[in-house]
Amino acid sequence: MAKEYLVNKDPKKAFMMSNEAMVRGALEADVKVISCYPGAPTSEILDTFFLLRNEFDYKFTTATNEKVALETVAGASMSGFRALTSMKSVGLNVASDAFFSLAYTGINAGCVMIVADDPHCHSSQSEEDGRFFGPNAYIPMLEPSNPKEARKMVKTAFEISERHKSIVVIRTTTRVNHQSGIVETEALNRTPFVKAKWSEVGENYFTVGETARQNKFKLLEKVKNIQIEFEDSPFNVISEGEGDIGILTSGVGYCYAKDACKILKINPKILKIGTPFPLPEKKIADFMKGLSKVVVIEELSPYLEHNAKRIAKDFELDVTILGKDAGHFSEAMEYNVPIVVMGISSALGIKSPIDYDGILKRANDLKTILPERMPCFCAGCPHRATFWAIKQAVRGRNVVFNNDIGCYSMAFFPPLNMTMSLLCMGSSLGLSAGMSQVLEDDVMCVVGDSTFFHAALPGLVNSVYHNLNITLFVLDNEVTAMTGQQFHAGTPEDRGMPEGKKRIIIEDVCRGIGVGHVAIMDSYDVKNNVDIIKEALDFKGPSVVISRRSCALHGDRIKRRTGVPIVQNEVDKSICKKPHTCIKDFYCPSFRFDSDDRAARILPEICDGCGVCAKICPFGTIHPIGEEAPGREVKQ
Amino acid sequence: MSQDSSFDLVICGVGGQGIVLLSNIIGRGCAKADLEARTGELHGLSQRSGTIYIHMRIGKDNLSPLIPYGEADALISLEAVEALRYLEYLKDDGVIILNKRVINPPIEVAQLSKEKRTDFIKFDEIKEKLNVITQNIAPLPALDLAKEAGNPLTENVVFIGALSALKSFPLDAEVLKESVAESVPKKALDVNLKAFDLGYKAAYDSLCQTVECVERKID
Repeated sequence: MAKEYLVNKDPKKAFMMSNEAMVRGALEADVKVISCYPGAPTSEILDTFFLLRNEFDYKFTTATNEKVALETVAGASMSGFRALTSMKSVGLNVASDAFFSLAYTGINAGCVMIVADDPHCHSSQSEEDGRFFGPNAYIPMLEPSNPKEARKMVKTAFEISERHKSIVVIRTTTRVNHQSGIVETEALNRTPFVKAKWSEVGENYFTVGETARQNKFKLLEKVKNIQIEFEDSPFNVISEGEGDIGILTSGVGYCYAKDACKILKINPKILKIGTPFPLPEKKIADFMKGLSKVVVIEELSPYLEHNAKRIAKDFELDVTILGKDAGHFSEAMEYNVPIVVMGISSALGIKSPIDYDGILKRANDLKTILPERMPCFCAGCPHRATFWAIKQAVRGRNVVFNNDIGCYSMAFFPPLNMTMSLLCMGSSLGLSAGMSQVLEDDVMCVVGDSTFFHAALPGLVNSVYHNLNITLFVLDNEVTAMTGQQFHAGTPEDRGMPEGKKRIIIEDVCRGIGVGHVAIMDSYDVKNNVDIIKEALDFKGPSVVISRRSCALHGDRIKRRTGVPIVQNEVDKSICKKPHTCIKDFYCPSFRFDSDDRAARILPEICDGCGVCAKICPFGTIHPIGEEAPGREVKQ
Repeated sequence: MSQDSSFDLVICGVGGQGIVLLSNIIGRGCAKADLEARTGELHGLSQRSGTIYIHMRIGKDNLSPLIPYGEADALISLEAVEALRYLEYLKDDGVIILNKRVINPPIEVAQLSKEKRTDFIKFDEIKEKLNVITQNIAPLPALDLAKEAGNPLTENVVFIGALSALKSFPLDAEVLKESVAESVPKKALDVNLKAFDLGYKAAYDSLCQTVECVERKID
C-alpha cells in the first residue's frame, strides 16, 4: 500500500490492509500520540505510523513493552491528547496490570487500544480470546469484520472513548488485521500539535482503597450507559431473512457465515455483533424473539453463545441456541467457509451440498510427494551461526536450554532441536531460575535484544540477586527482527532512527546490575565463539554472552542504502569432498547439492554472503565469488 | 467490466518473492476499476524461505478473506512446489500459472543428503500431480523472463502480465499496467512493463488453445 492513500486529505477509495485502514481511521480522528510494541498480527500498525512520522506532527514511540505503551498513551490521554496503542493478544497480558486500573481511573481525551487475537496460533503461543478482557475489566470493545469497518470503528472509538472517559478496545483477529480490501476514506482534517498545561487539562487519576471502591460504582454506572448507547450502535446490524432460523455472529465469522449461507442456499436472519462488550442485550433478545433456532458463529470461546443463552433465559425466549456446547463448532483453531458450512449443516441437520472432505482428501493424496517447508533462519542470519557454536560448545555436557520469543524460537526445529521450553516473552530467565536451583545440568537460556528490554530484565536482576548459575545468551541483531525489523532501545543510533533517541548498551546494563561474567562475540566468528561459550558455561554464577550481528534482512537494507556490495559465496567443486557439513548441520536455504556428483552448490539468488559456511567447511572449499578457495587440511 | 464479475485467486510462493507487492498491484487495479476486492494474507512468521500465500477475491459477492476449497478460479505459484501445497483451493479445470523454478527447502536437501539420495522433487512430477485437477497449466520460466526484461526482481510482475492473458480475469491489461507503474520505482518502470508483456505472451501461448484468452498486440 502506498503512502499516498494514507496521507491524502480528501476522501478516496483505496486498497488497504485493515492494519493500514485503522491507522487512517486514527489519523482522521486527529490522533496525537501513538505508542506500540510490535507483535504479529498488529506490527504493520506500528510500521505505518513509523513510515508516516515525517508527514504528520504526532508523537510516535516504539515502547519497550506493551505495558509501557499503554501507560504512555493513557498518560497522553489524561493530558488531553487523543492517543492510540496496538498490541497482540499476549501483549495485553503484559499490559493488563495497567489496563484494569485504567478502567477505574478513566481517561480524558479519546484513547483507543487495538488488540489482536490469533486464532490458529499463526504467530502466537496460545489461542487467547481477548473478548473476556471486556467484561473482566469493564472496558468497552468494538469488533470489525473487514478493513472498511476497521477504519470506521477506530475513528468512532475515539468519540466513544471521549464521551464516556473510558479506553475503548478494538478487538481484531489475524484474519481481520491481515485482510486487505477496498476502503472508502474520509477527509483528513488535522489540527496542529500544541503542548498543553496540566493545570488546564489534568484531573485526578488515582485508584486504591476507598477511592477504588467509589470508582467501581462509577465504573458500573459508566458501563451501563455505554450499554444503552450500544443498543443503538450502527455496528450491531440485523440483516433480515426468511424462516425461523437465525445466525448470531461477529468479526470474521460474519464473512464466513454470509458465504456459507450462499453455498447452503439458505437465507436466515443474521445479527452481526460489532460491540462484543457491553453486548446490546435487548437487541439480541429482539433478534431471537420468534426464532426457533439460532446458530452462533464465532471463533475461539463460546462468548456470544453463552451470553445469548443467558439473554434467552432472562427474556424467557423459547429458542434453541446451537454452537460449540452442542459440538457443532470447535473452540480450537480458526474457521473458514467449509468449516462454517459443515457447522451450520450439522446444527440444522441438513447435508452440505459440497463434499469438502472429499476435496481435501483428493488434494492430500496428491501431496504425498510434497516436501515440508518449515520456517528456518534466513540466509545470512546470525542466529544460525550462534547456535552452531553453542551446539559445539555444549558437546559432552548435560545442559538444559530454555528458549524465548523471537526468531531464535526456531532453534526448536531441525537441525538444532535444542529447545526444552518456550512460554512467553522473557520467561526463559524465570524458568531457568527454578531449574538452576534443582538440576545438576548447566542451565542456559536465550533472549533477543528486544526481548531483553521487554521482559527479561527482571529475570536477570533476579538471577544476579540470588547468584543463580545461569548462562544467558542475548542474540543482539540490532532490531526487533521477527516482527519486521523495528527499532528498539538497543538499536545503534546510526541505523536510520529518528533523531534524539539514545541507545542503551546491553553489556553496560548487565555489568551495571552486577553480572559477574559478560562476554561479547561476533556471531559470525563461529570458531572462536565455541571457547567463549564454554568459558561462560564454566563460570559459577550468572553469566551473559552477547552474540552481536545485524539481522540479515536489516543488514541487507543498510548495505543497499550505503552501497556496500553483497558478494555471494560459491563452492569449489574440485576440492569439495562432500561431507555435506554445510547441508546437514546448517540448513542455510541457499544450499543444495547436485544430483550427478553430490557436490554442494550455493544458489547465488539466495546467498547473503555471510561466509559462515566457509568457516565450518572442513575442507575450505567455500569462497566468495571471484576469489580462490582457501582449501584446508582436515585436523584429525 | 461489471461489478458482478467475480474472480477468486490464490497466490503462493516462498517468502521473499514479492507476493505482497503482487497482490497490492492487483488490489490497486481493483480500486481503479471500481471493483470490490479482499484478501486473506499471512505475515509475521513468513521469513524468507518459508511458504507464503495470499487469497485474493475480486467481486462484491464473496465476503470472506479465505476462498472455500475447490472454488479458486486460478492459482498463481511463484515457486513450483508450492502450487501443490494449496491445490485444494483450486476448482476443477481452474487455471494454474506455474513458475518452472523449484526452490528446494533446506529440510528436503538435508534429508536427501543424510539418506545419500539425489531424487529432488522435480517440476514434471509436480505438474503431473496438478494435472489430476486441471490441464490448464501455464508453465512460466518466470525468472528467465524477468532476467530477459532486465531485472530478476521483476519475476512477480511476470505473473501479473500472465494473469492479464485470461479473459475471465476482471482487470484488463491497461489498468494492471497503470497499477504496476504506480507501484514500482520510476527508473524500474520500463523493465517492469517488459516483464509484464513477456508474462502475458508466455501465458497466452501456453493457454490460448484451451482457455479463453485476451488477444493483445505487444510492441
